[in-house]
This record gives sequence, structure tokens and C-alpha cells, in this order.
Amino acid sequence: MIQHVFDAASLGALYAVMALGVALVFGVMRLMNFAYGALIMIGGSLLRAPGGAPWPVYVLLSIFGVCLAALAMERIAFRPLRGADASTLLVTSFALVIGLEALASILLGSRAKSVNILPSLSGSVGLLGSSIAWIDIATIVCAVALMVAFSAFLRFSPLGMQVRAASEDFRMARLLGVRANRVIAAAFAASGVFAGTAAVLLVAQTGTLTPSMGLTPVLIAFVATVIGGMGSLYGAALGGAVLGILSVALPAALPVGAQPYRNAMIFTIVILILLVRPQGLVGNAISGERI
Amino acid sequence: MLEVTDLHVSYGPISALRGVSLRVEEGGLVAVVGPNGAGKSTLLWSIAGDLKPAVGEIAFAGDSILGRRPEDIVRLGIALVPEARHVFSSLTVRENLRLGMTVRRDRRAAAADLRDLEERFPVLAEMRSRPAGTLSGGQQQQLVIARALLCRPRLLVLDEPSLGLDPHNVTIVFETLKSLQAAGTTVLLVEQNAAQSIEMADRAYVIRNGLIEMEGDGAKLLDDERFAEMYLGAGAVAR
Repeated sequence: MIQHVFDAASLGALYAVMALGVALVFGVMRLMNFAYGALIMIGGSLLRAPGGAPWPVYVLLSIFGVCLAALAMERIAFRPLRGADASTLLVTSFALVIGLEALASILLGSRAKSVNILPSLSGSVGLLGSSIAWIDIATIVCAVALMVAFSAFLRFSPLGMQVRAASEDFRMARLLGVRANRVIAAAFAASGVFAGTAAVLLVAQTGTLTPSMGLTPVLIAFVATVIGGMGSLYGAALGGAVLGILSVALPAALPVGAQPYRNAMIFTIVILILLVRPQGLVGNAISGERI
Repeated sequence: MLEVTDLHVSYGPISALRGVSLRVEEGGLVAVVGPNGAGKSTLLWSIAGDLKPAVGEIAFAGDSILGRRPEDIVRLGIALVPEARHVFSSLTVRENLRLGMTVRRDRRAAAADLRDLEERFPVLAEMRSRPAGTLSGGQQQQLVIARALLCRPRLLVLDEPSLGLDPHNVTIVFETLKSLQAAGTTVLLVEQNAAQSIEMADRAYVIRNGLIEMEGDGAKLLDDERFAEMYLGAGAVAR
């Protein structure tokens, strides 16, 4: 039982981190950035950078590198299209993810690579008769620390306050002097930090790296954002946590014969949630126009 | 201070403004009145830099501001209070006010202005920790006016500040505008409440179908039979 609780908390925390990165960019740009998956892939790839440095260096390199990649993505791909309609931006994000995955396949090969970035976390610790994986504990601690730090940034820093205001009503925020480029760049940079962290945790959990490793996380993040409530950062984190908990709780509760239908059941529950609360768990009606 | 010349703005094939010109002198209060869909809000959003005119010129303090971004225009000294209030409802009242200080470099003076405004609008001080979305319509209107004033604008532009308010709050809003005018703040006011706004105004413009139909001194315009017939009803003409 305790093991299931830790598994659920770990997966929920990881999904919450993924969802926050997507929700941030959606909040300020009304853009569902599917290229977020490519950022996770870049983060994973940076963990295999040559050099033989200690693992903290690789972790920092990955997070910092993805942050830079996210900023470059905004500056090169999305800023020139500012003001374009939603479908144009969506197609651009698909083009980016396809292009970057293809590039990764060329540079790194299309076969899965083994990465053992945090070997010391491969063991487990006993707790009340259950075996808890160190990686689960590390994932929970990292995700909670990141979310607390991010929450403090949003709540107490002037830039964080501007990001919150812009997420609610970008047009009005600009009329008060909030610089659009600065806020959008901040959202992409923070999104990059979330993607980089998610990449490190994913690779540490699975021990593998593929060019398409970001595809499933970005879909999970998208679903979590919808469950939580489009436009709400806290909703996205909650949606991610709910999805993670469901993903662990259902297999544990279902009989063996029903296990193949696990994902179908998870998404049926998602549909039921949305039928009851179409605006998401944290109902935050999307206000303002996309810019 | 502000000069708009031959402004044309379109939404796709629909022309919202078709050659609007107006002037706002420093320290004055100019009212723009007209029916729904006349182009009043389009005019204000164009001045604030949110809409790009197809033709025309907008000059502020002698320099063209056409093509500038909204965040740069507010730094030049034009603050817009748009219709429907636009408070950041999940942010607290105090955070909304602090956003009004985004353009300020003089932190101490800005903090002093914040204290002054909380004295002028005591309800904002009482409710400073509450989410702005929980305020009543009248309180939200006070908040957005105070927030715009924290930008320390040289020109305050207001779009329908009395819309949807009860008579008590309408009085508060108009009294605030009168005191701002007395303190020397230049004001450009768009209102459907034609009589009250024109009565306060040094100069007024009547806009309809994207064109300026009438203009003149506030008091003279109120006495104009054609204006009275158009906006104040037949009874006013008889009076």
C-alpha cells in the first residue's frame, strides 16, 4: 500500500511538472506548444553529452540547455508569428517537434540509448515493510521543490506577478506597461526549466533515451492541462497529479483481466471529469485574447 | 497634447473609423459621445496602440505615436482605462495596483502615490488582500481608475467608466474625474452618459458610424438643439 502511495505521488509529481511547462506557455500565448516534447528530448540528449563530468554537471547542463533551447524556440519560431491565428502557431509547434526529432535521429541515431545518469538512485529503501524506490523519493522532492520555487517566483517577484497578470488578460497587462516580449520569454524559459527537469527525472526513471521520448509526456501534459483547466497554472499541476495518481491507482485496483483496459479507463475518467466540470478542476474561464 | 488626424481603422471589410480627427489640449477634459458601435472604443484602443490604423496620424506631445506598442505608449504618458473594467480577477487588489506601477522608475514617489490613492479610495485599502474579482462593479471601477493613475499618466483615457454602475458609484466616478481635472490631469472620456460627461467637458465630440458628426465646447453643445434631439430626447429639445 505504502509503495503504491509513493508510486502515485512520484508519477503525479512528474506529470505535474510536465503539465506546468505546457500550461505556462498556453497561459500567456494561448498556444498549446507540442514542441514541448522536443524540449524534453533535448534535455534527455544533453544527459549523454561527452566529457565524463560528475552527474550534477549533466543535470544542470540539461536544465540550462533546455531553458536556452526554449528561449531560442520562442525567438526564432514563435515571435515572428506573433499575432498569427491559433492554427498557424499549432502547425508551427508540430513542425518544430517533427523537425527536431528528425534532427535527433540523424545526430544520435533512432534506436534507444541506455543512460545511467543517477545510478545511486537505482536502489530502494524499506519503509513499514514496503520497498520505496529512491528515484520515487527523489522525483517527489525535486518536483515539490521546483513547484514551491516557481510558486514563490509567481507570487513574490514583479516578473512573476506580470506573468500571472498576462496569463489572465494579456491585452490589459500590456496597457499597464508589461512588456510582451519579456513576459513571453520568461514563460518559455520557465517552461524550459520544467521540460529539462522532466527530462532528467524521466531518463533517471527509465534509463533510456529515444528521439521520440517527449511524445508521450507532451500528450500527458496536454491532457493534464485540460483536466486542470486551460489557463490555470495551479489547475495544470493538479491535473497532472490526478492523472499520475489514476495511472498508478487503477492498475493496482483492477483485476488482472481488466489490466489491458487501464488506459481506456483512465481516459474515461478524464472524460467524466470534463463532463461534470467542462472548465476543468480549477475552473478558470479563459479571458483575454491570444496575442 | 494629443492630436488625432484623419484616422481610419477597419476590422476586415468593416470600417470602424472613417477619418476621425480630434484634439485634446493639456489640462483639458474632452468627451467623446455616441451610440453603440459608433467607433468610440476603437478610437481609444487605437490611441493606446492596441489597434493599427490603416490611414491617419496620432501625435502625442508633438511626436507621432503611430505604430508604437501599447507598453511603450503608456510609458510616454497615456493610460487607458478600458470598458468592462478589466481587473486581474485572480490577483489581489494590491497586486492590481502594483501592476499600475510597472512603468514607474521613481519607486518612492510611486509608493507615496499608492498611499494617496488608497486614501482617496478607502475601499481599496480595506480590501487590499482580496482577489480583485470579488469586488463589486463600482469597487472594480475605482480600482482600475486608481491603477491607471499609478502610471502617473499625462493623459488619462477612459472608456465608459460609468457603464453598469449604480447611481451612487456613477457619482463617485464623475466626482473623481472632476477632482482629477481640477488637479490638472488631462482627460479624454468616452461615455454613453452624454449629458453628464459633456457638462464636465471643455470640448466634446459626437461620433456616429465612424465619423465625427458634431464638435464644440461642452456647454454650447448641450444647448445645441440638434445634439439635444439626437442624444437627450425630444423632451430636452422642448425644454
